[in-house]
Amino acid sequence: MKKILAAFVLVICSLTAHAQYQQVNLTVFGMDCAPCAHAIHVSMKGIQGVNTVDVDLNSGLVTIRLTPGSSASMRQFNEAVEKNGFTHKDASVIAKGTITGSAAAPFFEVTGTQDRFALKPAATASDLAALLGKSVTVAGTLPQVAKGKVSDTLRYTIISEGQ
Amino acid sequence: MKTLLLLVSTLVLASSAFADDHGPVFGYATPVNSQGEVSCDTGIFGRNGTRGTQLSTGTGCGYGVTPHFTIDAFLPATFGSGSLPESRIMPGSEWTAGASWRFLHSVTSVGKRIESTASLGAVVTGPQPDSGVLARLHREPGMACTLATGYASRSQYLWVGAGYTTFAPGPNDRRPDTISWSGVYGYRPAKLRRGYDQWDYRGFAELTGEHTGNVRSAGALVPSSSTTSVWLGPSVLAIFKDIAIEGGAQVPIYRDSSESLYGRERVRFAVNISYLRFSGRNSSH
Repeated sequence: MKKILAAFVLVICSLTAHAQYQQVNLTVFGMDCAPCAHAIHVSMKGIQGVNTVDVDLNSGLVTIRLTPGSSASMRQFNEAVEKNGFTHKDASVIAKGTITGSAAAPFFEVTGTQDRFALKPAATASDLAALLGKSVTVAGTLPQVAKGKVSDTLRYTIISEGQ
Repeated sequence: MKTLLLLVSTLVLASSAFADDHGPVFGYATPVNSQGEVSCDTGIFGRNGTRGTQLSTGTGCGYGVTPHFTIDAFLPATFGSGSLPESRIMPGSEWTAGASWRFLHSVTSVGKRIESTASLGAVVTGPQPDSGVLARLHREPGMACTLATGYASRSQYLWVGAGYTTFAPGPNDRRPDTISWSGVYGYRPAKLRRGYDQWDYRGFAELTGEHTGNVRSAGALVPSSSTTSVWLGPSVLAIFKDIAIEGGAQVPIYRDSSESLYGRERVRFAVNISYLRFSGRNSSH
């Protein structure tokens, strides 16, 4: 029994170590001045697993790069924007995770977090049947949602296996 | 902790135009602290006229309870002996504290927003006496409210605001109620719309005005003690990450006040330094 438990923990840990956001590019509306950007920078850096944060005031783009194995979630990024009185728009993400569900209704689970998104193609649909249950890297866009919520859909542009 | 903060915000006054760290130095503006942000201001505010000079210095602190609700307090100290009219645009010797609520916050695009903020609070008599006509009055606490609305962007700012302060009547005296208003236009040149890791500068043209009612002293209205004045002048705000420095001066463009009581107030000026401590605290998931 102990051996089974140990094997189970090992599998879970290995999945977690390979599943996380690598980069999040978040468009933020409402920042007009340097303190606005600095506040966002400080809030994002306060999230465990965030490596670097760049804020471009003129484009409103907040670029967040994460450390390997980070368990930071989209909800935390959104909250960091909201607590400073700003509004988050679309976010483009690159994340590692697992494809679950079915070929007709696939989901992407960022397994180091509790984030789970329905996968929709941004343009041309890919055949995801062969990737079900596999570890993949996905690049795509999370559409804007209301304050306090996280998008439940990820519009993917690239899905690559095992990176 | 939340109860304590609520109690403090209920007990104390609000808002003033006193050196808001993100905005103009004289006029009313809409910015409030972000959630968990602590702001501390200190500065010198001066008024000079033919009847002397009055200087105020002091410390103001604000705390962002939510992204749109801030509590603040301002504890001034005055020196000088100018005989000048009551003013709420310029700080006097009263201790003030209160709460500001940004009840409208509409982001329209990158870098742009339209917002409105209301403030309410109490003005408490400080330990220092006033000077001039006001020095003879038995001072009672008062209440102040302000409303500001405006537009902020990377290039331009526009705010208008108004405030009303009223004091409780004393046994025989009463400080005058004050209506104040302001309009502020701000501009950041294209060359200065740079990254947040460099100094951020912007300039303002600040128009402020005040009307004070008659002073009641020893049970009788003091003749010609009501005043109206309008002031105009430039100010500059410079911010680097968590430090803000701003300064400005104003001269009167309209003045209706008794020279025998108050003399001729000629100039107002302010220099303010702010420290902004943003919160990096986040939920775990």
